[in-house]
Amino acid sequence: MKSSLITSAVLHGLVLTWALVSLGSPKSFEVSSMESIPVDMVSVEELTQLQQGDEKAPKSEKPSPVPTKKPAEINDGENIGDNSVDLKTPPKPESKPIEKESTGAIKSEEKPLPTPEPVKEDTPEVTEEKPASEPATEVAALPEPKQEVQPDPKPAETPAEEKPAENPDAEALPDKVPTPMVKPKVEQQAQTAKTPDRKNEGNKTEKKKTSTAMKSDFDADQVAALLNKQDSSGGGKKRSTETASLGAKKTTGNTLSASEMDALRGRIENNWSVVAGISGAEGLTITVTMQLDKNGEIIGRPEVVASGGTDAARRTFEGSVRRAIMKSAPFDNLPADKYDSWSEVVVNFDPSSML
Amino acid sequence: MEQVGLAAATTDVTLWSLFMEAGFVVKLVMLGLIGASVWTWAIVVDKTLKFGKVRRQLDAFEQVFWSGQSLEELYRTLSDRATSGMGAIFVSAMREWKKSFERGARSPIGLQMRIDRAMDVTLSREAETLEARLGSLATIGSAGPFVGLFGTVVGIMTSFQAIAGSKSTNLAVVAPGIAEALLATAIGLLAAIPAVIAYNKFSADAGKLTARMEGFADEFSAILSRQIDEKLQPRQAAQ
Repeated sequence: MKSSLITSAVLHGLVLTWALVSLGSPKSFEVSSMESIPVDMVSVEELTQLQQGDEKAPKSEKPSPVPTKKPAEINDGENIGDNSVDLKTPPKPESKPIEKESTGAIKSEEKPLPTPEPVKEDTPEVTEEKPASEPATEVAALPEPKQEVQPDPKPAETPAEEKPAENPDAEALPDKVPTPMVKPKVEQQAQTAKTPDRKNEGNKTEKKKTSTAMKSDFDADQVAALLNKQDSSGGGKKRSTETASLGAKKTTGNTLSASEMDALRGRIENNWSVVAGISGAEGLTITVTMQLDKNGEIIGRPEVVASGGTDAARRTFEGSVRRAIMKSAPFDNLPADKYDSWSEVVVNFDPSSML
Repeated sequence: MEQVGLAAATTDVTLWSLFMEAGFVVKLVMLGLIGASVWTWAIVVDKTLKFGKVRRQLDAFEQVFWSGQSLEELYRTLSDRATSGMGAIFVSAMREWKKSFERGARSPIGLQMRIDRAMDVTLSREAETLEARLGSLATIGSAGPFVGLFGTVVGIMTSFQAIAGSKSTNLAVVAPGIAEALLATAIGLLAAIPAVIAYNKFSADAGKLTARMEGFADEFSAILSRQIDEKLQPRQAAQ
């Protein structure tokens, strides 16, 4: 037994020695040094979000919608200025002599009538415009019919429209008087087109004109002149000069983030005075649907729907929520660029957590 | 020993450094298990040698016994020296036989019983020497893994305490402690597996040898009983 014990001990010594030598230092794992990889966190929102643009356009760095056509400017203004609409310039001292000239011209034929008339008509509404812009001929043309019609402004207009193409001036004038902004422009176009005629015939057949003006109602040239010759500007006001980039017709997918939604909810909850100790609020949920305008003001009445709980609790909470919402409006802390997503907001409340 | 020092000097994760960094309890467990392993292999070596020897003796004795040699002569040669196995059984039976006849035994049945008893005693003594220390093999085989596991659990416990202390869960901090703890289980398995295998083998071998000796004892008992009958009947007839 002793010898075998020694044998065994020796064997163990050998094996352990061998193990220490051969198993002593295991190879460390080879870790090839890798470059760090940048990782982007991509939210679902980024994939579903669509930017306004053109469906067929190539992708581009900068999102831009379909370029808008700038409405062709009709260079028909007579008055120099920075306005987008050709308005008659305010009266200047120099213009008055012209008027006098014209009146003078008229006077030769019909002195007494014209001068008092235009003044009377204009003064109430557009006193300044008239004297400055109107050529003398027009004023001269007017007097007689005007006087007849004066008590009634409408009759005066209708006869004007009836006039033949030759002299639109007479009828144009009454038109202009009531409408301040848009019409003057159109009218002037017409006038410019026809001024030569006007001048040629103006003095000769004053009386004829006025009488014929009463008879005919329709004038094709006049209608054409009234038509808006500007291209449709696309309905929107926002201008884009970039070439279109890939995108949808509308920018969508902008949803309110959780924190923005919480802010909205928190605002309402802050203004919400919950009736303490109300019973039957267990399992009560309140859903508020409201429409907001761009300033965060509520459009119409918020729709409050309560479910669960007892009848009394429902009624109480519906009322208190409505008051809280009215109190917290306007919701001006919402991001304006996401208006699409909060034009109609649905907020859920669990009042049992607030008791 | 020089090997050991060298290994510790070179790297951190050698077996030796693992052992040295282990806690006291774990070290004790490991040393105990290594001792158990040494003991196991000592038994294995011892039993292998002994069983081989016993088998050879049995073969040799059977050859001599059935060679037709006179049993008296065989007894004379064997009784002088220490015998084992079948030889011992044979000698004990012959001694009983001789004693009974020298004193003039009267009852053949009593003589037969005495001879059987003597052979039984010798047989069980021989079987006992064959199976000696197999029990410790069984114990090491069954308890070794548990002892190793105990060392591992203790080691991992201490290493987790160390992690809590260092406030870092870096794998480089965790790994050595766990590795050294697992070493205890490894050593436990290393001791237990050969022990279990050896126990199964040697207990089977001992059973076989014992059965062979029992067979011889029965056969010899039959021979002696025939002899008793032959020797006692003339005497009774004479009377």
